[in-house]
Amino acid sequence: MEIKKGIAVSPGISIARSLIIDSEDYRIPRRPIKPSQRITEIQRARNAFKDAIAELTRLESAQDQAKAGKIKDIFAVHLRFLHDRSLRKKVTDLIHSDLVTAEYAVSTILREIASHFTKVKDAYISERAADIYDIERRLLRQLLGKKHENIDHLTEEVVVVARELSPTRTAGFDRKYVKGIASDAGGRTSHAAIVARSLGIPAVVALEDLTEYISVGDTVIVDGNRGIVIVNPDQQTIRQYEEYSKEFTELEQKLDAIRQKPAVTRDGIEITLLGNIEFPNEAEVVLEKGGAGIGLYRTEFLYLNTESEPTEQDHYEAYARTVRVFADKPVVIRTLDLGADKYTQSKRFAPEPNPFLGLRSIRFCLQNLTMFKKQLRAILRVSVLGQVKIMFPLITNRQELMQAKMILRDVMEDLDDESIPYNRDIPVGIMVETPSAALTAHSLATDVDFFSIGTNDLTQYTLAVDRGNELVSMLYSTVDPAVLRLIRNVIQDAHKAQVDLSVCGEMASEPEYIMLLMGMGVRTISIASPMIPEIKQIIRSVTMEYCNNVARKVLGMDSERQISAYLRNAARKILPEAF
Amino acid sequence: MTIGWINTILEMQAEEDTLENVEYETELEIKNTEGLHMRPAMQFVDIANRFDSEINVSNGETNVDGKSIMNISMLAATCGTKLKIRAKGPDAQEAINALRELVEEKHFDEPTPKR
Amino acid sequence: MRFRDFVCFDATITELQASDREGSIVELVSSLDKAGKLGNGKCVEITRQVIKREKEASTGLGKGVAVPHVKHKAVKDVVAAIGLSSTGIDFLALDKQPVYSVILLISPADDPDKHLQAMESIFKHLQQDRFRKFLRQCRTPKQLEELLIEADEDPSL
Repeated sequence: MEIKKGIAVSPGISIARSLIIDSEDYRIPRRPIKPSQRITEIQRARNAFKDAIAELTRLESAQDQAKAGKIKDIFAVHLRFLHDRSLRKKVTDLIHSDLVTAEYAVSTILREIASHFTKVKDAYISERAADIYDIERRLLRQLLGKKHENIDHLTEEVVVVARELSPTRTAGFDRKYVKGIASDAGGRTSHAAIVARSLGIPAVVALEDLTEYISVGDTVIVDGNRGIVIVNPDQQTIRQYEEYSKEFTELEQKLDAIRQKPAVTRDGIEITLLGNIEFPNEAEVVLEKGGAGIGLYRTEFLYLNTESEPTEQDHYEAYARTVRVFADKPVVIRTLDLGADKYTQSKRFAPEPNPFLGLRSIRFCLQNLTMFKKQLRAILRVSVLGQVKIMFPLITNRQELMQAKMILRDVMEDLDDESIPYNRDIPVGIMVETPSAALTAHSLATDVDFFSIGTNDLTQYTLAVDRGNELVSMLYSTVDPAVLRLIRNVIQDAHKAQVDLSVCGEMASEPEYIMLLMGMGVRTISIASPMIPEIKQIIRSVTMEYCNNVARKVLGMDSERQISAYLRNAARKILPEAF
Repeated sequence: MTIGWINTILEMQAEEDTLENVEYETELEIKNTEGLHMRPAMQFVDIANRFDSEINVSNGETNVDGKSIMNISMLAATCGTKLKIRAKGPDAQEAINALRELVEEKHFDEPTPKR
Repeated sequence: MRFRDFVCFDATITELQASDREGSIVELVSSLDKAGKLGNGKCVEITRQVIKREKEASTGLGKGVAVPHVKHKAVKDVVAAIGLSSTGIDFLALDKQPVYSVILLISPADDPDKHLQAMESIFKHLQQDRFRKFLRQCRTPKQLEELLIEADEDPSL
């Protein structure tokens, strides 16, 4: 029995057989094959080359020479490599001689070639190693992509174990069979964690080397409350966990019972509780859990799933589905926040060295207006179906905001010309998630109808920490005094300018932080649906007076540790069972 | 196959051998500043593949197939490196000439170091 | 799309006479008309439409630039004229600052993508402090043309 500690990211307990899935980016384990499987593996390798060539040929011809000559060149070189017979022979020879899988052979041979390059002193040549890794990834995608079928045809309950999980992968899990998730990498607010939480699948991440301790078929306990994973538990441990699991389910059911009740404090102040969603099918879950609308509809999923750009109609249908579920309740649609996510970076031909600070999100959209327009048109068209609001992410200065609004206006004019109806007065707001926006909120407030504070990114940019990097993710804290100061600034500026304000980051779904936010003046929050009942319970159990006191005390503290400890205590007094 | 048929093939091969046994060799210096990185390697390989002859490239330490981009780029030849090109086949001479034009006259249509 | 693909250098006005926004728009539209870029007799109509649109919502982006624009049947291709004012024009920009560089853009009515591509270029370069500064410093149409051509080649400008 092996007990591994990680970070709990999605609550719940599950006990099931493990299913190990390979990820795209890391070392492929050496799994031996039988001599009789040689031919199949060699054929797999050959097919991977063939399919990679087809994919790359498509991508290359889609490049406009005027705009992307260099990219076309890079693709041309990659294609020559994929066509190179001696490369293919090296791969198939390795499969044959060493009895290894196609993935292992591809990875080994290409990394060998790449390391050959990195040894050369000349910078131009050693940088070419990056091209080799890209070719490796492309081939592995072909090989591993087919393996997705394993997980799509489950017949029994499993716990999925992986080195790392993409949000797309995670969103595709069938809740009926995937009962738990455990990964080596990842952090508290990584995208995959957010998806696991929304789907209600217990998950533990940042286990570092779990995949090395697990073999196919091992039984695994995932404790998504305490952040523990137990491999091959003994009978006693299993019994203990089964008990614990029952208790936890009972608590969940109790919380669900308050779904119909309003989110009002004991002294009568109402808080608007909205849900964050990513996929249209989460909309119903928000309603089930008692959410009063959608405060953040992340639209990136449309781009992460497919190789080709979604059409305006694809956007429209996804949004329409969600808006119809909510009819008269608000739905805030956030425009594309693409770019820094490694999944979009891996699709890029020339990955940016610092994607978080690069051409992402609204900047990316303003440089790709034809794509941006499709989304804006869809959002405007859908605005007649319900109470739709539009929100621009990552605005750092007024100029960006004006540019975005200008394009929105141009799109409205186009729709007018085509006699397509839309809500002319659609509320337009922004995510305040950068220090610059937070510090100039007073000036931005004059041009928007609402603000939504994105505490995840605001914290990352303010503290200069990558939340997905398990080496530093412990430095990330939304109750760092610097971050709190900025949040307070935004709340005050919004209040002065009489602009609606909400908080949509993970901070709002932490039982420990919700009182602080309320005490600071927040009256609307948007959180992942599973947390809605619990947060509502806290709201119903406190008085605003108590929250104001909490906020006053905290804002006078200057150490994150002191603040965290104080808040944990304050929350424990209100909701002891959850702690 | 009948014996007669096999004999004909052998005769044809013998004839081909004498025709094919044309070998040409030359030494080329890489003149462009960035050396034999991806794009030039690609151009080199594209030209080599136009010809039927076998093409070998050696940098003094290793000898590689000039038609394979993997092999050529692994030579990692920098500016100033001298490569020995050997072509064997019916169009060996044209191959050598084409390659010389690419490497030494056009230097892959890339800049050379300023003096 | 590069500046040289849609900016009409012949229509450049390095020192706008007008001190108000309507005046500057009138100057720029008639400059394009003189350069033969607009259809016959459409000058007045186009001017009126640009001004109307500008009044509905200011195209002052802040930091001293404005991008009045309109779509109209009279042009077959996207065309722009640039006007500079050393004294500054009140474009009722929301940052309340005067505008020193005006880029007037007229796009064909039936090709919205061309309009977007031109806007992309304009946005990209207007974001750069250096570019805005150099733009303001142009004294002759030739200098402006050279600046824009350089900007086409240099994404950091």
